[in-house]
Amino acid sequence: MRNRATATRVVLIVWIVAAVGGDVALAFGPIPPGQASDLASSESLTILLLAEAAWPVFSAVLAALFFTLVVNKIAPPTAEVSASALRGNTRVQTVWIVTTLVVVLSIAVYGTVALAIDVPGTGISTTSASLPMPTSTDQPLEVQVIAQQWWFTYRYPAYGGIETAQLVLPVNQKIQFHVTSLDVIHSFNFYALGVKADAVPLNDNVITATPTQVGTYRVQCTELCGLWHGNMADNTAMVVSASDFSAWIQEQTALDAPIMKYLPPYSHTYSGSNLPQPGVYAP
Amino acid sequence: MDVVSTARPLMSARPTLARRLNEWGLLLGLIGAVIGFIAGYALGSGAISNFYGGGGEPTSLGSDPGILLGYAMSALGFLTGMGFLNYPIGRLLGAKRPTEEDNAYLHGEGGGLGRYFRMTTDHKVIGMQYLVMILAFLFIGGLGAMFIRTELLTPVPSVANAQSYLTLVGLHSTLMIFMASAAIMGPFANYFLPIMIGTRNMAFPRLEAMTFWLLPPAGLILLSTVFLGGFTTGWTGYAPLADQNVLGMDSYLMGFALIGLSIGLAGMNMIATIMTMRAPGMALSRMPVFVWSVLVTSFLGALAAPALIAAVLMEMFSRTYQATFFIPAGGGSPYLWENLFWFFGHPEVYIFMVPAFGLVMEMLPAFARKPLWGRRVGIGGMVGVGVLSFVVWQHHLFVSGIAPSLRPFYMFSTEMISVPTGIIYLVALGTLWRAHTRFSTPMLFIFAFFFNFLIGGFTGVFLSDVPSDFTLHASYFVQAHFHYTIMGGEVFALMGAIVYYLPKMTGRTMDIRLLRFQFWAVFITFNGTFISLIAVGIMGMTRRVISYAAYLQPLNDSATIFAYGLGLSMALFLGILIWEVVIKQRVAAFNPWESLGVEWQVPTPVPTFNFDRMPVSWSLPDNYDTGKPAADFGPTVPALSGAEHE
Repeated sequence: MRNRATATRVVLIVWIVAAVGGDVALAFGPIPPGQASDLASSESLTILLLAEAAWPVFSAVLAALFFTLVVNKIAPPTAEVSASALRGNTRVQTVWIVTTLVVVLSIAVYGTVALAIDVPGTGISTTSASLPMPTSTDQPLEVQVIAQQWWFTYRYPAYGGIETAQLVLPVNQKIQFHVTSLDVIHSFNFYALGVKADAVPLNDNVITATPTQVGTYRVQCTELCGLWHGNMADNTAMVVSASDFSAWIQEQTALDAPIMKYLPPYSHTYSGSNLPQPGVYAP
Repeated sequence: MDVVSTARPLMSARPTLARRLNEWGLLLGLIGAVIGFIAGYALGSGAISNFYGGGGEPTSLGSDPGILLGYAMSALGFLTGMGFLNYPIGRLLGAKRPTEEDNAYLHGEGGGLGRYFRMTTDHKVIGMQYLVMILAFLFIGGLGAMFIRTELLTPVPSVANAQSYLTLVGLHSTLMIFMASAAIMGPFANYFLPIMIGTRNMAFPRLEAMTFWLLPPAGLILLSTVFLGGFTTGWTGYAPLADQNVLGMDSYLMGFALIGLSIGLAGMNMIATIMTMRAPGMALSRMPVFVWSVLVTSFLGALAAPALIAAVLMEMFSRTYQATFFIPAGGGSPYLWENLFWFFGHPEVYIFMVPAFGLVMEMLPAFARKPLWGRRVGIGGMVGVGVLSFVVWQHHLFVSGIAPSLRPFYMFSTEMISVPTGIIYLVALGTLWRAHTRFSTPMLFIFAFFFNFLIGGFTGVFLSDVPSDFTLHASYFVQAHFHYTIMGGEVFALMGAIVYYLPKMTGRTMDIRLLRFQFWAVFITFNGTFISLIAVGIMGMTRRVISYAAYLQPLNDSATIFAYGLGLSMALFLGILIWEVVIKQRVAAFNPWESLGVEWQVPTPVPTFNFDRMPVSWSLPDNYDTGKPAADFGPTVPALSGAEHE
C-alpha cells in the first residue's frame, strides 16, 4: 500500500511538472501564424490560450490513463473492489461532467468574445453588391481578391479600380479584403496575416486585417479548385511602407492605363452581366 | 467452415430452380451488371442525348446521362442477378410462400464456403462478407495513401501529374469513407447484434443482404473513374467544380449514392431489429453497450444518408439535365451543396466513431475483469454525441462566408461534443480503476484507441474555435485531426475487434507475438506520420496540393517515411490475418478472453439460426464481479424457424 502511495505521488508530480513545463514552453515558443497583422496576432493568441488550456488537461488524461493502467491496479487474483469502483459513482460522474462542461463553456465564451472584439467585420459576406460595409472609424482600404482557376487578381477601388496580378499592401493600414470568385469555390489564404476566406462565385466574402510587419509573403488557395489547385499560390505578396505603396500604385496605374477601358466596372461580384463578353477584350 | 448443428438436416435431395439460380448468384449478378450497364448506357447516351436532342454533351468517352444511367442499371442488374427480386417477383406471379427449407437454404444452411459468394440472409455470413470487403477497401485505399505520400516527398510534381494526383486523393478519401462507414457496423454489428439481443435473425434479412451487396458495385463504380478521366474534387465533391469535371465525376456520384443507400437501409434494418426482435427478458436496460452504440449509429445513418442521396441526385441532374442547383450563374448556390453535404458529412463521422466507442466499451470489461463502470452515463454519452452531431455541420464552413452571427452557435455546439466524448474516457478510466487489467493484444489496441482519439479530440478543439480555425482550416492540421479520429480511433478499434472476435467468427486465431510486434509498429508509425502532418499543417500547408512551399519539405519527408512504415505494418496485419486464419488455420480456444457476453456462450461455429438452446434469464453482459454469464440457456430447441421473419 505504501508503494502505491509513493507511485501515486510520483505520477502526480510528473504530471504537474509536465503540465507547467509544457505551458511555460508554449508561452515562449513561436505560435503560428505569427504577429504580421492584428488578425494574425489575435489568432496566435487564441491558439496559444487554447494550447495552454488544452495541454494540462491532455496530459492529465494521459497521466490518469497511465496511473489507472500501471499504478492503481490490484494483484491477481482479483481482490475486492469497492462498490463505487465497480458499477459507477454518481458523484464522480457529476463532477467529471460538470468540469468538462465548465471548461467547454469557458472556451466557447472566450471564443465568442474574441470573435466579437478582435476580429470585427471579419467574414461578413453578402450576395448583393449594394449592402453597406461595416462602418469603422479608421477608413479601411478596400482590396478586392478575385479568384479564378488558377490564380488571384486584385483590384483597388480606391485607386480607380486598377487590377494587378501581385498583391501589395501598405503597412499599418486597415485592409478590407473583398473575396470573390469567377468560377468555382476557391479560398484566399494570406497565412502570415491570418486571413482565410472562401471565394465563392457571385458572393462577396469580407475579411479585415491590418498588416503590421513589412515583408514578402505567400498567398495560396486553400479550397480544392481543380487541376492546378496546388499551384495556385504566389510567394510575392508584399506588405510595404506607405510611401512605397503610393509609388507602386502610381506605377500600376500607369501600367493599367491602356487596358482600363476593357475592364468591367468595379463591383463586389462579377457575373455574366457585368463581365465583358468574349472577344470584347481584343482591341 | 462446415456448420455443426445438432438439428436435423433440412436439405431435400433435389434443388429447386430458385436455389440453382441462387447458387450462381454472383456470376448472374456480374452478367446482370454488364447487361444493365450496356442497356443503360445505350438508353442514356443514345435515346436521351441523340434521339431527343437533350442531355449532356457527348465526349469521346461518352455522355453523362449514358454513364449515369449505365451505372444505375448495372447496379440494378447486379442486384437482380444476385436474386434480390426473385422473392417479390415470384410472389407477384403467384408463387407459393417459400418453405422453411427454402428459407434455411437462403440462410446459408449447408452451403459450405459457397454461401459466402451468394446472397444469403444469414447475418453471420453477411458479417464475414463485410469484413472481407472492408479489408479490401482498406487495402486499396491504403495503396492510394502510399502513392500520395510518395508524391509529396518533393515540393513539386514528381511521380504523378496534377490530374492523376487529384484522382488518387479523391479515390483514397472516398474509398476510405466507404470503408469507414461500414468498418464496425458491417462486420461486427451484423454478426453479433442478433446474438447479443437473442434473436435468430435480423428484422429484414433480405434488406440486410442488400446493404452488403450494394458495396461491391459502389466500390467498382468508384474505381472505374480511372477509365473516365478521374475526378478532381476529393471526397467532398464541391460544386460548381463538380459540374466542371469530366465523366469520372459520375463514378463518384453514383458510388456515393449507393453507399448512402446502404448506410440508410442498414440503419433502418438495425433500428427495427433492436426495437422489435429482442428476446424476452432482453430489456433495453440490459442491452449490451455495443448494441446501444449500433442503435445510435443506425439513427444517424437513417437520418443523415437521405441528405447525401438528395445532394448527389441533384448533382447528377446538374451534370445531365441542366439543373443548376449549385451554379450561381443559373440561380443556384454552391452553399446548397456545402450544406447538404455536411449535413450528411458530420453525422457521418459519428457513424464511424459511435460504433467504435460501443465496441471498445464492450471489449474493455473482459480485459479489466470488472463490470463496465458508469454504463448508463456511457450510453448517455453516445446518445449525446448522436444528437449533437446533427447541429454542428456549419463548423466546416466557418470561413465560407456564413453570417458571422451564426458562428458562435456552431462553435459552441461543436465544443459541446467534447462533453459526451469525454464521458467515454471517464467510463474507460472507471472500468480500469482498481482492476487487474490483462494486456492481451486487443487491450493494446483499445489503449491505442484512447491515446489516438485523445489527440484527435484535442486537435478538434482548435478547429472548433473560430479565430484559430482561420489559421488551421483546410490545412494539413485538419487532415491529421480526422486521421487521428478515424484511423487512430476507428481503424485501431477495428483491428482490436478483429483480434478479439476472430476466434468466435472463424474458430481461428492469430499469433500473439507477431501481433504484438505489429501493434507497436503500427502505433509508432501512425503517430510519427500524423504528428508530422499536424506540424506541417500548423505551418500553413494546405490540403490536397501537389505542390507546396519548399520550407515544408523536411516535415513532409518525415511524414512520408513514417507513412511507409505505417503502410508496411498495416500490410503485416493483413498478412498475419491471411496466413494464420486462411492458410495455417491456427485453432482458437473457445472463449480465449473468458468473456461473459452471450456471443461467447453460443457454440463455435455459431449454429445457422444462432441458438440451439434459447437464451433465457438475461442479465448484463459484464458481471465480472459475480462471474454470471449474460444469459442462461434453456432446453434445446430445433434449429429451425427464424423463418417467421422472412
